[in-house]
Amino acid sequence: MKLSMFFVALLSVSSLFGADTVNEEASKAKIEASVARTEASAARIEALNAKAETSVIRNETKESKAIVSKTTAELEKANSIIERNALEKAQSKDSEEAFLAKSKKVYISVVGQGVAPMNTVSPAQAYALAKRAAIADAYRGLAEKIKGVRVEGHDLIKNMMMQRSTIRTGVEAMVKNANIVETTFKEGLCEVEMEIVISYSDFSQ
Amino acid sequence: MRSRNGNCNLLLRLLSIVFLSSLSLSASEFLISYQYTVKNAVLYNETLEISRAMKKCSGVSQKELFLQNTTDNNLKKIISQNSEEFIDYIHKLGLHVKHEGTTTNLQNSSITTLTLKTTCFEVDFNDSFVKIAPLKEGVN
Repeated sequence: MKLSMFFVALLSVSSLFGADTVNEEASKAKIEASVARTEASAARIEALNAKAETSVIRNETKESKAIVSKTTAELEKANSIIERNALEKAQSKDSEEAFLAKSKKVYISVVGQGVAPMNTVSPAQAYALAKRAAIADAYRGLAEKIKGVRVEGHDLIKNMMMQRSTIRTGVEAMVKNANIVETTFKEGLCEVEMEIVISYSDFSQ
Repeated sequence: MRSRNGNCNLLLRLLSIVFLSSLSLSASEFLISYQYTVKNAVLYNETLEISRAMKKCSGVSQKELFLQNTTDNNLKKIISQNSEEFIDYIHKLGLHVKHEGTTTNLQNSSITTLTLKTTCFEVDFNDSFVKIAPLKEGVN
């Protein structure tokens, strides 16, 4: 009985010593596992950090893209507003011109000059011919005022010197319903004042 | 065998036809063109062409002019007697203006030509006056 007890005690002691060694190994393994875990967690943290950085960059790029799209949209809006304003201004100008043309009559007055030729038979003939020339000059003036003048200029320069300077002007128009207001004849020069009334109805036919 | 009253009616019909045709023939048509040139403020080459239309003109008569008729039905004579009035009337109707001016080394020269293109005029001859009106197509 004593022997059995002794054996039991031995076994228990042996078991105790064995348990210590086992416990040490287990603790080592645990420490290694914890180290591995910490390393893994660190790696995870790094990975997470990297992911966070990439997400931040992505967010930044997204924000920049959004800002660019907003600015382009604002620019397009501003351009459309400018175009609308320009169109409205042009339309308002057209309407103003049409309104003025419809409501008002325009009086255009010119003075034409004519000279009698040298070889006339009588002063009356000289007067008649000078008056006709003055009327033609007045018609030319009316045409120039109403329709405008075509102007061409040519300068010939040779060796840094002006050789010839030519200016050509011209107009072609149909003039009707012009009235003679006043005619004067002095010292061979006849002056005719002519007037024409222009209204919207003259051009709406 | 017709009765005397029947013959009289026939004669009246014939006379009325002749009278109406003579009235319609009195309204004749003339082609008129007018042009003059003014060079350096002096008049040159004033021409007024009048001729009877060889074929019927189409169009609606416009603003008319009444001239005194002291001679027979000769439009050229009537217009020559009232030339100032007729030329003023032509100016009112409208003339085509063509002007060319040249300035070379500060010396000016100019040519202005006023033209009435050949236009058909309806002319009504009466005892004491003549009615002249241009015919224009496409205008009421």
